[in-house]
Amino acid sequence: MTGTVFDIGYRSYTGAREGRGRSRLALFRDGVRASLGLGRPPRAKVLPWLFVVLLSGIALVMAMIAGAAERLVGDGATEKLNLPTHADYYGIASILMFVFAALVAPELLCRDRREGVLQLYLVRPLTGTDYVAARWASFLTVMTVAAWLPQVILFLGLCMGDPAPIAYLREHWLDIPRFLASGIIMSTYVTTLALLTASFTSRRAYAAVFLVGLFAITTPFTIGLADEMRDGAGPWISMFNLTNIPLHVVDVIFGGPSEMTEDAPARVLGSTTLVTWYLAWILVPALVLWSRYRRATP
Amino acid sequence: MSTVYLLTMRQLAGRWRLVIMTVLAVLPVLVAAIMVSSADAPSVREFEEVVLGTIIAGSIAPLVVLALAGPAFANEVEDRTLANLTLTPLPRWRIVLPKLLATITLAAPFIATSALATAYVAFLGDPLAVVAVTASAIIGVALYASAFLWLGLVSTQAIGIGLLYIVLWEGFFSGFVSGVRLLSIRHHAIALMHGIDPRRFAGGDHPSPEVAAALAGLVLVGFVALSVRRMRRMDVP
Amino acid sequence: MIKAATAVIRVDGVSRWYGSVVAVSDVTFDVQPGITGLLGPNGAGKTTLLRMMTGLATASSGTITMFGQPVRDNPSLYRRLGVMSEHETVYGFMRGREFVRAMAKLRGVPHLDDAVDRAIAHVDMADAQHRRMETYSRGMRQRMRLAATIVHDPEVLILDEPLNGADPRQRVHFKRLLQQLAAEGRTIVISSHILEEIEELADDVLLVVNGKLAAQGGFRAIRAALNQRPYHVRVMSDAPRKLAAAAVTLPSVDAVHLDPDGAVIVLSRNVLDLQVALPRLAQAEAVRLRKVEPLDDSLESVFGYLVEG
Repeated sequence: MTGTVFDIGYRSYTGAREGRGRSRLALFRDGVRASLGLGRPPRAKVLPWLFVVLLSGIALVMAMIAGAAERLVGDGATEKLNLPTHADYYGIASILMFVFAALVAPELLCRDRREGVLQLYLVRPLTGTDYVAARWASFLTVMTVAAWLPQVILFLGLCMGDPAPIAYLREHWLDIPRFLASGIIMSTYVTTLALLTASFTSRRAYAAVFLVGLFAITTPFTIGLADEMRDGAGPWISMFNLTNIPLHVVDVIFGGPSEMTEDAPARVLGSTTLVTWYLAWILVPALVLWSRYRRATP
Repeated sequence: MSTVYLLTMRQLAGRWRLVIMTVLAVLPVLVAAIMVSSADAPSVREFEEVVLGTIIAGSIAPLVVLALAGPAFANEVEDRTLANLTLTPLPRWRIVLPKLLATITLAAPFIATSALATAYVAFLGDPLAVVAVTASAIIGVALYASAFLWLGLVSTQAIGIGLLYIVLWEGFFSGFVSGVRLLSIRHHAIALMHGIDPRRFAGGDHPSPEVAAALAGLVLVGFVALSVRRMRRMDVP
Repeated sequence: MIKAATAVIRVDGVSRWYGSVVAVSDVTFDVQPGITGLLGPNGAGKTTLLRMMTGLATASSGTITMFGQPVRDNPSLYRRLGVMSEHETVYGFMRGREFVRAMAKLRGVPHLDDAVDRAIAHVDMADAQHRRMETYSRGMRQRMRLAATIVHDPEVLILDEPLNGADPRQRVHFKRLLQQLAAEGRTIVISSHILEEIEELADDVLLVVNGKLAAQGGFRAIRAALNQRPYHVRVMSDAPRKLAAAAVTLPSVDAVHLDPDGAVIVLSRNVLDLQVALPRLAQAEAVRLRKVEPLDDSLESVFGYLVEG
């Protein structure tokens, strides 16, 4: 019996083979899409976009209030009435940013671990470091945009609402780099902590609850305790108010305390201490996160 | 029924979870101890608002219960093990109730002990106050458990929705809008606390204890009924 | 002929759609005692159909009854029905025996430990029964799940791809087990996408393709029936007209079309003969065959099986 092999059209791949950089970029883009629920059914888009809308909505409301105040009370109403401004925005919106990160960041890490997809990634020219760095970068990007967009809206709103927009722009243009920098401060903090928590469990639910719990519980706890011990260990206890850690740095950028941190006992410790503390809370979690993935092999 | 109960207990009682719950249970007691020992002791109202209302009832209790009751069904749906329970001749309520009881059994001791110790320290051992705080904590746990159990059955995004509920609804709105308090589990529990020990926990804009009790009963039975209904109608993975 | 009076499971005009995707389309059949095979390619709707038959999923339209009772929202039915789904449903932290025992307890099995022993012995897992299920191999988990499915001695068994990942020895064992259970008068429905399994086991076959019931009945009868319908076979070659002219002379060929793109479409009702005659013809005419493919979507898979012998 003779045998025949039929040509059914199989062709081997003859195109370009790109390397590690391309893999990392692909992972990065996938991370951004996963965070925003793109490429998945509408149900997956609800939460992330809801947050973006809520965050922007707060800014919009702030801008409208400021505009109305300008018209009713006259020039300089924002300062006179002590209305919230760019510096205060993050104090108000921080809890939302934390919940957003708590719910969305686990999507990036937990799912891959649970479904065994991580092994598939590592078979490619990707190391564990590449993987976690790409994921971190992608979520950072999403959070930063989520942090910047409302501030841009607020700025535009304040600008338009002012009777002399050009003058407003000229006077306040320094706000722009300030809030851009603050946005990065906030998003880096939130991203690193959220991903660190997500790296410890393979169920998204637990990571989310733990993270929110961490913030929701330590905040009143430390505030209450610090209030009691104002003169003694108060400031040090207040340093463990996780919500305030990045806010203090935002204060430093804006050159003065915002509404949320005005009463914080930790303020007495000075800018250098607070900024160093913030950096510690970025670097140590980042290192732990990195170490958890560094030696991952397929 | 005991099979479902014990199975759920095994599924939910992880070592790390128990450790974290213990830590969380200890926190309010610490705060109470420090508050009481400091020279400038807060008023009952302040204490109630910050420690009992916010820390225990507003954060620790609902989050702990969410972490237990949410996954009770949601994990089974995700892992596709729910069919093991539905492909049995058990009437659906005999699956829902043991799950609920298991969740309460795990969460209540921690929350109740925490509440008890906190109240004991803060109110210097006054029995009625301690009973009021502890009882309302347990009731709060039961109510949250029934709600989150249903949520885990109904939605894959149960945790997200639950967190938004805790942070926005219970944490934010109900603090400001008094009408919302009728629909807030936290406030049901607090109102009941007021009812049990009115001389200590007087005042405040809460629903009356009778209304709160009725609403609480409605919430508990309602969510259990909803869960049973859902189990009967859903496509089990 | 299937007698309606003895039907254990009755599926009547059942459809299931998800939005605009139709998974199962107007399926009607009865299931008798004995082994019935549900056969079809992957994605044909077998699992959806089975899930509806077990009451796990609703039918968008139509009715399904077992023992004359509706399967949906009818927990007491599960005393007489055992189900094994295609995906893993075990609790890793449990030991094998614990799992079977728990499942038995949930079904109110009397003489619990005896029943569990028997079930575990049936699947030949007595040695490993005290180990945690997360340490089992896939085949072992499959067997333990089967033990849990039969522990309450159900009259009806519905098994979705039970031999997924089973090794040859397990297959033989499993086949014997099923035949023994069926001989005791039970009704067994087993689904698979592998022809040989169903061929060995099933008395009756239900062939599902693209959500529709394509054929039903004894396996040999189906095979014969298939050969009565003309197939469209598309042949790509380097000399189409020459091939077409020669193909018309074959007794197994009913008609020949020429496609503008150079393909020859052959209509044939005797595929078995065609599969032998066509290459021989091509060789004789010195025509090189490049591609031979069936065009009838609805019977494509069956043709595929037949061509492979």
